[in-house]
Amino acid sequence: MMQRKLKVAALFAIALLTSSAYARAEEDFMGWLLNLERQKNVKPVTGKQYQDECGECHFAYQPGLLPARSWEALLNAEALRKHFGVNAELDDDTLKIVRDYAVENAADKSWYKRSRKIAVATAEGPAPLRITELLYISRKHHDIPAKMIKDNKGVKSLSFCDKCHTQAAQGVYDADTVDIPNYPDWDGWFNK
Amino acid sequence: MGWSSKVRDIAAGICLAALPGMAHAGDTAMNPELPTAASFYTGNFQSLKSRTSDSQSFDPLSLDPPAYLLAANGADAAPGQAGATPATSPAEFHQPWMSGSKAHQYLGLGTVVLAGLTAMAAPEEGCETNCGVQPPRQTSGTTHTRLARATAAMAIATVMTGLIFHWDDIYWEDPFTDPDKMHARLAAAGALMMLYAVNKSAKSTVPTSHAGIAELGAATMLVAIKLTW
Repeated sequence: MMQRKLKVAALFAIALLTSSAYARAEEDFMGWLLNLERQKNVKPVTGKQYQDECGECHFAYQPGLLPARSWEALLNAEALRKHFGVNAELDDDTLKIVRDYAVENAADKSWYKRSRKIAVATAEGPAPLRITELLYISRKHHDIPAKMIKDNKGVKSLSFCDKCHTQAAQGVYDADTVDIPNYPDWDGWFNK
Repeated sequence: MGWSSKVRDIAAGICLAALPGMAHAGDTAMNPELPTAASFYTGNFQSLKSRTSDSQSFDPLSLDPPAYLLAANGADAAPGQAGATPATSPAEFHQPWMSGSKAHQYLGLGTVVLAGLTAMAAPEEGCETNCGVQPPRQTSGTTHTRLARATAAMAIATVMTGLIFHWDDIYWEDPFTDPDKMHARLAAAGALMMLYAVNKSAKSTVPTSHAGIAELGAATMLVAIKLTW
């Protein structure tokens, strides 16, 4: 009987600890460990300026999709002048806000699972500059034929995450949420 | 119907509820050639094959996947040129209520819940002082033993569905600390610990220590779930 009481008390203690952990989720290891909120994907964009500036031209990729050193390499005045072939210059103040937000929420500073996978896989070697070139991303898509992406008028490139990932804006990239334009019968049933 | 029978039925119901995902396998075109593990799940091998100029001698294993597909899929498109007419808008899209991934998830959570119920239903065993004639130890037919067996069965189902539906999330060359690899290792270890505890207890006619390893197994599985939650 005593043993059972101890178990019940332990369960209550865990419940209490867990409920109080929401406030400090993601701040440290214990915050992550005791946080029951789903963190399987990537932290959604919460920075308004980041969303506005990046989202003006393309899908505002979550900072958790690249490590901090990648964002540092991408988000500086010189790099932005030739941002993948386009001049995307920002004034100094805006650039600092955008860069700081990206670096603070980068993959190697996030507890979200997909970000952790990216961080672990990119810990060594040169800083990746394209999300689509990450080994993790390429593995996830390598079975999808070109007719569904590049040759698909509704998609055109792997870069346009939100064309197929219906909850990409929320940072959710589960296969269950995939809807490939013009291929409604693509079977995501057996995918991740 | 007794309480224990109800619990058993609920556990069986959870297992059955996870099965429709597997039943749907019949709807997926099965390719007998099965070139890669991932193609097995998506059934896209034929489209891959048709893209090669010499389909007669096509050997998918000889190609580097990122090279033969991503080179095309990852091609640049200038900003603003993306197709703006998706066939289905996000608002119209509804997630499948069940999928392989969801079945794995529900089974894993169910295992932990059942493990907790099993621990709560554990009978008091052993006697240290003033022991009279002790009744024979029951190794079956009690709520605890039924729950324990259901937990073990669900743990096996969890590991199996994980292997089937997330096999291509695990790569040998990935670092030891890769979340999916840690998840798989810990979950498998947890399931094995629970199986060992059930087996040890079921074969013993005298009180035997098995709760510790079973609880450690459940805790290990819980940590495994958390790693990819």
